[in-house]
Amino acid sequence: MADSPSLIFVTGGVRSGKSRFAEKLATEIAMKTRGQLNYLATGVPSDCEMFARIEKHRRERETGKHHWKTMEKSVQIEELTLAVNNHDIILLDCVTTLLNNELFSGGDVRDETFLSKVKEKIMKGIMAIKNRASTMIVVSNEVLNEPLAGNELVFTYGKLLGQIHQQLVQEADKVFLIEVGIPILMKGAK
Amino acid sequence: MHFVTGGAFNGKRAWVKKTYPDACWLSAYENVPMPSLLNDIDKNLLVLEGIEIWLKELSDQNDANQSREIWKHHLEAWGDWEKANTKRQLVVIGTDITKGIVPMEKDNRLWRDVTGWAFQDLAAKAEKVDLIWYGIDQTLKPGGDM
Repeated sequence: MADSPSLIFVTGGVRSGKSRFAEKLATEIAMKTRGQLNYLATGVPSDCEMFARIEKHRRERETGKHHWKTMEKSVQIEELTLAVNNHDIILLDCVTTLLNNELFSGGDVRDETFLSKVKEKIMKGIMAIKNRASTMIVVSNEVLNEPLAGNELVFTYGKLLGQIHQQLVQEADKVFLIEVGIPILMKGAK
Repeated sequence: MHFVTGGAFNGKRAWVKKTYPDACWLSAYENVPMPSLLNDIDKNLLVLEGIEIWLKELSDQNDANQSREIWKHHLEAWGDWEKANTKRQLVVIGTDITKGIVPMEKDNRLWRDVTGWAFQDLAAKAEKVDLIWYGIDQTLKPGGDM
């Protein structure tokens, strides 16, 4: 019998090993529950180098020992909800890209109503998918320990990201902070 | 003295409001200048918020050593206010701005250096230090509570 859906939040600095940890965690859960691995890719290839990196990642996941399905959604992840069932393990990597895509998808970034809609939409999307899945793992990036005040857009982005991270920590069953490849359990039981 | 730190938008203010209700707040984010003497504060519970902004002003007008000296004087004065009455409690909130890429501009590099040192001075002087990470608090210095 499947356990109730769970949410795991994984965050860390750039190149901290957070994605690798999250993928490993997902495969462990998949083996234990005989679930289906799904990679929710949020990146829009903006240049050739990025395209190559995304393709390389995809190849690695698809030819590896564990079979991953790839879902691509750069905005409005909530549209994937109905495609998800309770055998699915969903890995969303990562929130910073998703926030970036939603913020610059055409709304007015100076409009507070638009900004809170973006925040709500991302959280609702994550929770809706999580509630249908077996496990949802969400990866994000630590970027809030430097000055944000110099640039209005950076400030807005940082504020939304911080608020989303706070909500994710609150909703998550487990939270890991990855430092130099080592996971630190910040919330939840081992 | 209780020092509360953490990254931007990590829930520091909400945590302090929950831990210390009904305080008098002096916030750099509301353009309150850095106070030197606190004698006129009529509450026993005082929160100073946004010290990194005050440190920016300090480092804009002084070199590194002078900034740190002035900062230490302020810490002394704040500590004296707190010690003058056992009912008094001072809470100081500072946003960590020290973990990004080295800033391009010289004045922002100085600001970051001064902030790092000032936070160390404050943490050494404070009885309690807490790090807030997306609402989760981690006590770095537990203080002498019974």
